[in-house]
Amino acid sequence: MKQLAIGTALVLLLTLSACTTTTVDEYRENDISLTLGSSERVVVLGRRHYADYETEPDFIDCIGEKLNADKVVAVLPERQFVDLLYPWFEPRTAPLGLKRLAKMLDEPMIARRFKEQGLRYMIWIDGSTETTERDGSVSCAIGPGGGGCFGFATWEKTGTYEAIIWDLQTLDESGRVKVEARGSSYMVAIILPIPIIAQVQDQACDGIGRQLRSFFMGNRARETTAQTP
Amino acid sequence: MKARVFITPLLVLCGLLASACSTKLEVVGNFPPALTAKLPLRTIVVFEPDFASYRFDSTVGKEVSVAVGQIQVELFTGLAANLFQHSSTASNMPNDGPADLILVPRVEDVQISMPNESQLKVFEVWIKYNLQLFDSNHEPVADWIMTAYGKTPTRFLKSDTEALQQASMVALRDAGAHFITGFARVPEIQQWLRQRPTSAQTTNASSQP
Repeated sequence: MKQLAIGTALVLLLTLSACTTTTVDEYRENDISLTLGSSERVVVLGRRHYADYETEPDFIDCIGEKLNADKVVAVLPERQFVDLLYPWFEPRTAPLGLKRLAKMLDEPMIARRFKEQGLRYMIWIDGSTETTERDGSVSCAIGPGGGGCFGFATWEKTGTYEAIIWDLQTLDESGRVKVEARGSSYMVAIILPIPIIAQVQDQACDGIGRQLRSFFMGNRARETTAQTP
Repeated sequence: MKARVFITPLLVLCGLLASACSTKLEVVGNFPPALTAKLPLRTIVVFEPDFASYRFDSTVGKEVSVAVGQIQVELFTGLAANLFQHSSTASNMPNDGPADLILVPRVEDVQISMPNESQLKVFEVWIKYNLQLFDSNHEPVADWIMTAYGKTPTRFLKSDTEALQQASMVALRDAGAHFITGFARVPEIQQWLRQRPTSAQTTNASSQP
């Protein structure tokens, strides 16, 4: 009985995750939802030109999955897009503004490739998740009789991201979403280390992904309402 | 027999310890075809043995050895095929042959920065190329110093080898991007292209009575 209780406590501890606070700010050019035809797609790209950080590729994949969750918004994967447009969307060559993109699209070959892929919107994600504070320590030792860890450590992570939506047809900005997620993780070690991890990046992805989807979903909801008699 | 029982694990342990202190890799990967208009030029890319087997070795601090020779050959072969109407490769300077331009890429310098050296959470790779261009008479056209940079953030449980492979691939892609977007912007090349009669002009001139 006692063993079962200890086992349950351990499992509970392992499945625990620390709290994360997420703040989402949104800016829209107007109240109208973004239109996306059945053959049109969206591409989500990360900014990689800064020296000290770069937007994580797995974060970009996560946002793509959130957008495409119920097959409403078709997303062209970042890697595929960058390879199809090589060398125009490498960290050194990617357009930082709409003016530069417009100039790029004056090149018929590039414009044709965009059209072939049915690209309607480009979403740029800029930001990263960093460890902002760290405290405590855990030390482990191993000897002939066995080993174990002892101590307590805590660290705080902050994920700050901004998404900017570019309309590739009108070549203007359709909206912005800013998200800040913050969470503290803990590691308690009494013989066995038990981590309680705050899913900061996942929460930021969830926040930004849900908000970006609302840019497109409003339109879909209106279409559905219009179709019902 | 007893000694062999101890020697084998000892050798394995020594090997493991030695490999733990060094990072050795041969960069491998693929590059996508470049989306660019082809220049009406016939080129020969000369891959000298030093370039084709280039390996960067650093013994300062942690031992690092990165072989980029083969992947560079693949990169420049692809770039030339994408940027020029006709391209071929050679291992030394051709004496004669139908070429408007001869390109000889050389590695001037490679620098690698690891998180334990820079205190930054990134692996970085710099490659400095000297792209020498000659016309059909082997007269120099341009000496183009081209730099490439690649970085990859550190990731939980990612090995140094894997991180350096990624950073090197980013640097090589950057070299490709610089080559394609910058080729016609190099002043000497620009001037040479302007002075040189185009194939169409040559054809028109020869077809005129």
